[in-house]
Amino acid sequence: MPLPIQNYLYENAVEPMQVDAPPEDNENNEEESYIVENPTLDLEAYANSYSGLAKLYRLIYIVDHCPSLRLEALKTAISYVMTTYNVNLYQVLHQKLAEVVTVPLLPDVAAQSTNQDVPTIDSSWMETRSKKAALKLEKLDNDLKNYKSNAIKESVRRGHDDLGDHYLDCGDLSNALKCYSRARDYCTSSKHVVNMCLNVIKVSVYLQNWSHVLSYVSKAESTPDHSESTTKDSFQVILTKLKCAAGLAELATKKYKSAAKHFLQANLDHCDFPELLSPSNVSMYGGLCALATFDRHELQKNVIFSSSFKLFLELEPQLRDIIFKFYESKYASCLKLLDEIKDNLLLDMYIAPHVNTLYTQIRNRALIQYFSPYLSADMHKMAAAFNRTVNALEDELMQLILDGQIQARIDSHNKILFAKDVDQRSTTFEKSLQMGKEYQRRTRMLILRAAVLKNKIHVKSPQRETSGQSGEVTVAPGTSTVLTARN
Amino acid sequence: MASALEQFVNTVRTLSSQGNYRDLCDYLSKSNETLIKNGQHLDNVLETLDIQQHSLGVLAVLNAKYNLPLVNATNESRFKQVKDFILNCNGEQIRLAPDLFAELCHLVTANLTEQKQAIKGISLLQKAISKLQLYDSQLTSIHADLCQLCLLAKCFKPALEILEIDITGICQENVQGQSGSHFDAKYFLLYYYYGGMIYLALRNLDRSLYFLEVAITTPAQEVSHIMLESYKKYILVSLLLHGKILVIPKYASRVVNRFIKPLSQPYHELTSGFASNNSAELNMIINKHNEVFARDHNLGLVKQVASVLYKKNIQRLTKTFLTLSLSDVASRVGLPGPNDAENYILHMIEDKQIYATINQKDGMVIFRDEPDKYGGPEVLKGLEAQLQQCMELDKQILAMDEEIQVNPQYVKKATGLQEDEQPSKSTYAI
Repeated sequence: MPLPIQNYLYENAVEPMQVDAPPEDNENNEEESYIVENPTLDLEAYANSYSGLAKLYRLIYIVDHCPSLRLEALKTAISYVMTTYNVNLYQVLHQKLAEVVTVPLLPDVAAQSTNQDVPTIDSSWMETRSKKAALKLEKLDNDLKNYKSNAIKESVRRGHDDLGDHYLDCGDLSNALKCYSRARDYCTSSKHVVNMCLNVIKVSVYLQNWSHVLSYVSKAESTPDHSESTTKDSFQVILTKLKCAAGLAELATKKYKSAAKHFLQANLDHCDFPELLSPSNVSMYGGLCALATFDRHELQKNVIFSSSFKLFLELEPQLRDIIFKFYESKYASCLKLLDEIKDNLLLDMYIAPHVNTLYTQIRNRALIQYFSPYLSADMHKMAAAFNRTVNALEDELMQLILDGQIQARIDSHNKILFAKDVDQRSTTFEKSLQMGKEYQRRTRMLILRAAVLKNKIHVKSPQRETSGQSGEVTVAPGTSTVLTARN
Repeated sequence: MASALEQFVNTVRTLSSQGNYRDLCDYLSKSNETLIKNGQHLDNVLETLDIQQHSLGVLAVLNAKYNLPLVNATNESRFKQVKDFILNCNGEQIRLAPDLFAELCHLVTANLTEQKQAIKGISLLQKAISKLQLYDSQLTSIHADLCQLCLLAKCFKPALEILEIDITGICQENVQGQSGSHFDAKYFLLYYYYGGMIYLALRNLDRSLYFLEVAITTPAQEVSHIMLESYKKYILVSLLLHGKILVIPKYASRVVNRFIKPLSQPYHELTSGFASNNSAELNMIINKHNEVFARDHNLGLVKQVASVLYKKNIQRLTKTFLTLSLSDVASRVGLPGPNDAENYILHMIEDKQIYATINQKDGMVIFRDEPDKYGGPEVLKGLEAQLQQCMELDKQILAMDEEIQVNPQYVKKATGLQEDEQPSKSTYAI
């Protein structure tokens, strides 16, 4: 059955590329050019915390953005891809490898030594793999047909799932999604429904189809009594999975606050989702989003005193320090720590496009909090606290004042920030007068409109003179058409 | 052919003396052709008719005269005849044939426009409007003519008198006209378009915006060029006054969103340029669409928009800064140098748009808070006046509501429904 192979190989060719150019996220395209120079990432540990396509995609992201880790990441990725049926990705990876090897970054001894253990492209492996994949596909397909003819719902569902798994293994995401979705009609218990949802969510995340992810999360959550039919443990696992997926989708669509809320509901003991996220991802995403969007009280209640999220924070001691420093108002060290982890964050495919936005939001929040207790503040001291020059700080403050986030004015001559006292009386006067004027205006228009409607004034196309209205454009239109209009 | 005219004169006389004006109107609308055919004898006919007693007849004759091809020598005398007529005619008779009367005014306006003697007709049309109106706040299609003449003559005061009165009713001019309401919509739109322009010329932006908004929210099925031009000006005035486009009310016709918006693309670009608060970007957009703006005769307004952006940015600075050096102002606002900035700030202080002092010695501007504007008896008086107006409007609305409540048609419909329900209720009871 050679045709289907061709078919899915062809389709496949596009899939790996989608990682770098997802259609929904334009920012990614702009960010693509950045390069991370000095990451402090332990690649092996990093790769080990993921499985399946998540691992491959994340490694490819590193390959694209970090020259110093490029080779190592490629090797890891290639050795991992050998365990799957994803022949196409294998080829793509080798192409990338060839580029790296032919254009060595450091053309010295080091490059030569690495050259030796560069894996070479193994065409026989590809051939046998493709054949095996085709065979397996055929077998699964036949099985499914058999089940269908016997009309055993449970087997059909399982057959669809297996076929989906296989497609996923080959990297054919759209077919995998199709198979998983088809299983839906054969679900007999709520457990199956939830399972189906999880499968669809997984593939949708790979496809970066975030609205799909969210809708299936809510579908799974609203499945009746899925909490009762399973044991408490597995329920927690599923719940955490759903929360993580929802958080990820919210993050990707830039709804940072709800993303934070979702991540904060995850449970470390049950956080076992290597196909999407590692627990440290959850803590990082959740922590940063919370820092950027929560106010002080929410931060204290939901993050610092949260017994479940505390465990997550232990995984990322740097982040824990950042959050605590922020809460203790030690902004300089907090921001410094943030800068330190920035490089690693930029290598994370899901949060990288949002790092800058989140960082500015965190900064702004810090600035607002810093100034909140003061009536006047010395901008020199403030600048020192935020590692900024006075002029840069002035610009930042100006933006915040204009956005209405800080009620203050800047004395640029003496470099002092003064809190603005709002004159309640005159603002009330202003508002009420404004309101009155608005009311009068609206009411007048209403009365006029009533008259217009009563008289059926209506712009219609003139029936007899087609060019009649075009003459009325300028200040002094010729009204010579009136006659024809009447006759 | 004289016999036809004689017959015309006789009919007019007998019907007028009988007071049978309705039949007379019917007759006149049919006799238009006869009159035009006998163009050269119309002056004689006029002599035999009395302006006061046979106003309708005279009206028909004058109309016919204006429809005839123009002979230069007669123009002056013709205008004089019309003037005489409008000043002395019988208002009651005229109001029976408002379409003819309005048309005469349109013809006169068109004629004056051609002759470039707009100013001659202004007081005449004012009189004409008051003759045709039943009450002051009634809109006639002559309103638009008056505004047009005022615009052309650059003499706005007479127009202002009628523009200041808010319209509450519209004169029924198409009782006999066959062309339907289209006729009216055009003059309605023109009135509000011209009105908007007059207020714009007088720098009463608030009122101008109101007029233009009326124009663009007029019910419509097709794109009217008047609406399109109104929309363009609406955008510009909105930017001048509020710094952004006000949301167009939901009851505006769908035509506005579907056709007029795409047709005014350069103006929307201008708006987004304005919203960016970046003068350089705005000027780039203006240069890019210079031709379009010039063709629409809106270039002057566009230039005003550009200068307003500088002022807006300076105003933004007053919100954020207490002191700032002039060169800083210039660089933040995008002006070429401190001197320009000083100039702008000076003007703005004079216009009370900002409260600031300039210290020329060290080139600093010190922005101050607004002084307390809301103290003293004048404020209270102003407030009371506003309240009074609001209450008056409220009363007006209530009166309109009441009018609907007691409208026989409405009552019939409202109670008719209840009657339908009642029998069903009674069957329930049984």
